Amino acid sequence: MLLLIAVLTTGVVVGEETKPKLGDIPDGSRSNFVHLIPLLAEPVAGKEPDQVHPDADPVLPFSTKQTCGACHSYDKISEGWHFNAVDPNVNPGRKGQPWIFADPTSATQIPLSYRKWPGTFRPEQIGLTPMAFLQSFGRQMPGGGIGEMVDKSENPEEALRSDVTGKLEINCLACHDGNPGQDMGGASGYSIQVIRGNYRWAATASCEFAYVTGSIKGLPNEYDFRAPFMSNDSKAKPPVVAYRKEAFGHNDWASFDIRRESPKQRCYFCHSNADVRDGKTEKWISDEDVHLSAGLACVDCHRNGLDHNIIRGYASEPNNSTNPLVAKASCEGCHFGKDVNKPTAGRFAAPTPKHAGIPPTHFDKLSCTACHSGPWPANETIRTKTARAHALGIAGASKSGEILPHLLYPVFAKGQDGKIGVFKLLWPAYWATMADGNVTPLAMETVKSATSRVIAKTAFSKTGSWPDLKEDDIAKILTALGSKVDEGAKPVYIAGGKLYSLDDGGKLASADNNMAEPYLWPIAHDVRPAAQSLGARKCEDCHSTGSPFFFGKVPVDSPVGGKGAVFRKMADMYEFGGPVYMRVNSFFKWMIIIVMTLLIMHIMGDLYRRGLLWLARIFRRQS
Amino acid sequence: MMGQTSGAKTEEREFFQRFSLQFRVQHIFVFLSTITLIITGIPLWCMGHPRYSWSTAVVNAFGDIETIRYIHRTGAAVLILVSIYHLCYTVFTKEGRREFIELLPSPKDVIDVTINSLYFIGMVKHRPSFRRYTYYEKFDYWAVYWGCVIMIGTGLVLWFPDVAAKYVPWLTYVLSVEVHADEAILAALALLIWHFYNVHFNPSRFPGTLLWWHGKMSKEEMIHDHPLEYYKKELAQTKSRGQKAEPQNGATA
Repeated sequence: MLLLIAVLTTGVVVGEETKPKLGDIPDGSRSNFVHLIPLLAEPVAGKEPDQVHPDADPVLPFSTKQTCGACHSYDKISEGWHFNAVDPNVNPGRKGQPWIFADPTSATQIPLSYRKWPGTFRPEQIGLTPMAFLQSFGRQMPGGGIGEMVDKSENPEEALRSDVTGKLEINCLACHDGNPGQDMGGASGYSIQVIRGNYRWAATASCEFAYVTGSIKGLPNEYDFRAPFMSNDSKAKPPVVAYRKEAFGHNDWASFDIRRESPKQRCYFCHSNADVRDGKTEKWISDEDVHLSAGLACVDCHRNGLDHNIIRGYASEPNNSTNPLVAKASCEGCHFGKDVNKPTAGRFAAPTPKHAGIPPTHFDKLSCTACHSGPWPANETIRTKTARAHALGIAGASKSGEILPHLLYPVFAKGQDGKIGVFKLLWPAYWATMADGNVTPLAMETVKSATSRVIAKTAFSKTGSWPDLKEDDIAKILTALGSKVDEGAKPVYIAGGKLYSLDDGGKLASADNNMAEPYLWPIAHDVRPAAQSLGARKCEDCHSTGSPFFFGKVPVDSPVGGKGAVFRKMADMYEFGGPVYMRVNSFFKWMIIIVMTLLIMHIMGDLYRRGLLWLARIFRRQS
Repeated sequence: MMGQTSGAKTEEREFFQRFSLQFRVQHIFVFLSTITLIITGIPLWCMGHPRYSWSTAVVNAFGDIETIRYIHRTGAAVLILVSIYHLCYTVFTKEGRREFIELLPSPKDVIDVTINSLYFIGMVKHRPSFRRYTYYEKFDYWAVYWGCVIMIGTGLVLWFPDVAAKYVPWLTYVLSVEVHADEAILAALALLIWHFYNVHFNPSRFPGTLLWWHGKMSKEEMIHDHPLEYYKKELAQTKSRGQKAEPQNGATA
């Protein structure tokens, strides 16, 4: 193994961002580089960063921006997909999993994203400031992006407070630390520190040789993490770092087990999902993705260079990404080698499928995932939990299979590329204001001021599921919200595919509305073995009466009780809207209208003439 | 509509045998199966539209949906069989061929529609003189033809989607769902409003006629509704007796 000892001077860090750094240009070695390096702390503005010493007082947390950024261009890395959601200039690409704000007490589950994915809302629309967003979701964010914008919050108090909390820098260790002691979800690990607001300490706390206690909560805004804490407030317990001294060697440099290729366990912390079967999420009964079983790692396909412009892996991604490998990293890229000028099929020993006997129209209409991904479809979709939606892997997270948000899969639906694929589905539920047909979610603070007065605590589910929400409750809440919306607008509630509002008489009415339609995002994993693909055994996997692909049931998930289970047929999720369908459909609709109009006119004409004749006879008799 | 038009005196009224037994039996099977299909089709349509809150209530009101589906398909089978029988009847029997030719649209039908429309608004004094079949009876017949082709075709796709999907694009199934429902609505409305008015509920016939049962039409009805058919028959009888027939009303040919 080649040993690289990074020789650093603090002068390298400051003022030379445009020049390639020591770790930016690899020398070509495929072996692992040892990272025995000094830990550097967040510097005082305009000054050089201090080295962290385990015996100092106070013991400082290290800054990844300074420590890792000494040899790797931090700013360049910050442009990567995992960190650039807030950049409006970044192409959002195919719809992905949103952040889902779920609150059982207000019967809310709403998809959020800083990316412009249709069907999602921006966090600030429901009143989430950067810190509030991190409070809810930072636990499973790798830092950077919105995490480093807390000081730019439009809320002045929050901007001021950012001096105490620090910024949530990119936690390089979240992905690249190969040490099994890397603590992302433990009782004092990364996620807990983010939830506590200890952003500056979060990356340090995740490191296997550091332990962080305390919290910035209750600390005054004048708190200085570099100075010993002096306070008469016994409840104030500032974050304290304790390093394992054995991890430090010569010159108090520390050794990290840094991996260029992230281990799958690192990816899994944010990208796990678990099926809910019989109310539980047992991992051992599910198989892993066939690619991982074959020995591949996530980053074999999901690759990136220094810019961290990671490949997401969907077929049309070359239209949205500048990653030079993007065309080769999709399903087709490895298994067929399409869209490139030289043969690339068979990468990673990928077999080239013959798809013998399958009519070619299938490949025009279906994405690869439709037949190959997700669990084998059943008559009804199942509930699933994901790391980011349900805080999987974090100490203290609920293990309930019923906890919000409720995600359903596998759902066969038409994607943005016009092909049918496999999706996860969320039925949005939120309180909003509607003006001129436009629905805009209300801030959660406003919502909760109304819902807390109507939804009794006894209506809450112990499992974290929906509260027992009745239509009378909705009417009361909408009435309460009526005084809090702009003039000309009216409050509405979206849930279970319906839009609820009060009519002019104050009576609750419900109607279909596009804004109530489910949010779907495509999935690719877990890929099943080829022998378990739809259609591998027989056409009847799909082309049979009652096949889940066409006739599976998709529950319409709603907190509104009293209506019984409602389902949508799977085929309704990918309704055809093409010109042929539209023309034929409108032909028959107009045929009904025209034919019946003519027939009724004929009847009316006949009755009219008979009436005239009858009157004429009467007049004749009288005269 | 099989024209055994031999005149007969029945209780001082003269009746003509307008429809043969064969034709009446076919008609009975058609209307029994169609009414069954319409009634049982309502909950089945509601099953596919759970988004409407009332549709669930309709489904529940009908009870076991599997039984409803079974009855619906039984009705469909009857309709298919009688359709096939009618095709054979049309092709292989002299009577069937003659009736089919009588039911073919002709230029006179266009003239009749025009005259009848003018008659309705009082611009002409007399109704058109109809032959064996009026234009609206021909419409009824061809509407059933069209309806059977559409309903049976789309119904089979819905009944056997797995078979259909092997040979036709899936769009066929999606369209079949819509077209089957649309055509059913049109057929039901046309039957209940248009056909029932013409044969049962119009002031001349109210409260109804048993023509569909015994197939007989009175001389007065024949002269009023189908004068050309009546004179044709009278002329044939007169010729056979070596006599001439005289027009009995002011109907225009």
